[in-house]
Amino acid sequence: MKVEKITLEKKYHDAVEHWRRHWMPDYELLMTHWDKYFPKDEPFCLCAKLECGTPETIPVGDHAGEKKRAQPDQLNEEEAKHLLAIIRAQASTEFGSIQQHSGTLARAQDDEDRFWVLRVMAEELRHGYQMFHLLLSQDWSRASGGVKGEDMVEEILSMGTGSHVLDAFNLDYDSFVDNVCFAALIDRVGKYQLTMQKACAYKPMADSMPPMLREEAFHLAAGVIPLRRWAQRAAHGNVFITMSAIQKSFNKWYPRALEMFGDERGGDSNIRMGFKDMKNRQAQDLYIEEVTRMVRDINARYLRARFPGYTLERVEQVLDELERDRGRHDGVTFEDLLRLPDRRFFRRKGEPAWTMVGVEGETHTDAEAYLRSLATHLPEPYMASRDMKTYAETLRQVATGELTVADAIKKMPKLKRVGGTCPCSRSVRWVVEESATNGH
Amino acid sequence: MPGVDAQARVRPLDELDIGSIVSIDERITGIYRPDVWEQRIGYYIRRDPEASRVAEVQGRVVGFMLGDLRAGEFGLEEPSGWIERFGIDPDHRGHDLGRQLFEAVLRHFRERGAVTVRTLVDGKDTRIDGFLRALGFTPSPLQALEIRLQPGPQERT
Repeated sequence: MKVEKITLEKKYHDAVEHWRRHWMPDYELLMTHWDKYFPKDEPFCLCAKLECGTPETIPVGDHAGEKKRAQPDQLNEEEAKHLLAIIRAQASTEFGSIQQHSGTLARAQDDEDRFWVLRVMAEELRHGYQMFHLLLSQDWSRASGGVKGEDMVEEILSMGTGSHVLDAFNLDYDSFVDNVCFAALIDRVGKYQLTMQKACAYKPMADSMPPMLREEAFHLAAGVIPLRRWAQRAAHGNVFITMSAIQKSFNKWYPRALEMFGDERGGDSNIRMGFKDMKNRQAQDLYIEEVTRMVRDINARYLRARFPGYTLERVEQVLDELERDRGRHDGVTFEDLLRLPDRRFFRRKGEPAWTMVGVEGETHTDAEAYLRSLATHLPEPYMASRDMKTYAETLRQVATGELTVADAIKKMPKLKRVGGTCPCSRSVRWVVEESATNGH
Repeated sequence: MPGVDAQARVRPLDELDIGSIVSIDERITGIYRPDVWEQRIGYYIRRDPEASRVAEVQGRVVGFMLGDLRAGEFGLEEPSGWIERFGIDPDHRGHDLGRQLFEAVLRHFRERGAVTVRTLVDGKDTRIDGFLRALGFTPSPLQALEIRLQPGPQERT
């Protein structure tokens, strides 16, 4: 197993470094303390990494059994456009998550947690760099409608929280709890996407995945391990990070995580074109199963800390009882534990978009009542956000029939940069995309 | 000859295995120490998640082997695979899971260019020593040396 390391042409490398100075001011601090927090680990390298020796043939789709494509020109126009959109979205998520993490990073209560997230940010920067390598190392002009790689890079680097491709990357963090819950929930979707893309019919994309996946494994640990520790502290009566605070953050991110898989009814094109090896719902189902295991694991840690005299078997038994009866055990109620909201809860995209389903799966018919219910289940600072305001306005329009679900799905506004592309320029404004208003 | 558990699945370690490994360790040692395993598993996952493996039977993790590839330590420039910790749930011993885990780890070390696999064992622990020898480990010219430190004068008071 060999990995080839590639540095981008200087002007692009410098552009990423410039962006990094704006959004990762603690990068140098990470480098200085690398050996303290990650002793003996390979030093961080801002470069693209391509795995050597990966399969040469396409495993799925219309071209299964054929040799993987090495250049965009070997894909037909539809395939090239589709893949370009995937690469662009992937790049956007990598840079987007750094911007989100940077907002609340300094609020971490523990230095180790902070440096773990800093490492996650550095590796996300490398993943974004990796996608730039894919965009810049070949000619995509046929698929991009003539837009040059240089312009695509500039566009991605000019995106901010509010203008990224996927909704999960357009929400601000409210506290460091979000940094950790995001790593546990949203990065986990990233793991699924990267795993599916290992099959990709475009070989440079497939070869990019194994090194990214190895790094992503730590990102998930940077979410789950602090969550386990927080659950233990919460069980001991620590009032700073409670199970309720974690639960509200889960409620905020989980619906967006589910939407990152794409519409539950879709994903055929990805398989047909050989870019991924699972349909959307299939991958989403596996994700839900995995997150359910994670939640149970954290709850077991909580209960074991509450009842140190219990054996593991006893803890499992109590957990089963609480989940089944939703009752109480020696001062612990079902509500004290973490639980996943219904998969249709607070959805604005996909099959259950705008259906007003509550955390327990109950259906609301009145938009105002639903919003009040959301207010009890989401973090208070998030309720005061621009995102929630727009969501509420759109929900009311859907409820009264002023807006169709299909149009509501497209309606969420984007933050558009109207000045220069350098992050120094803060001249941005909220706009509703043209396509969203078509037909009205 | 131990029976092979046909349903065993060996796969790379991930962050959701911590609880199971804590539980296996507790069943073996009688000590519940989640903090220790969170730290160690965090370490192995960030270094090389594919080098460490777990064995699942019917969807439940019942064994683990943690290792990583290192070079340049103790003057050993050649890449060496190091196996640090392993454990099999007592209820699942005798099903060859240890060997299956070891073979998966070994395959990964080979792919990463390792020429040697190393570990340390307490010579008094005949069970572990016997297991490692059965896997093919032989005494190494490298010898583990140690000095027991006595408490300093201040610590004595």
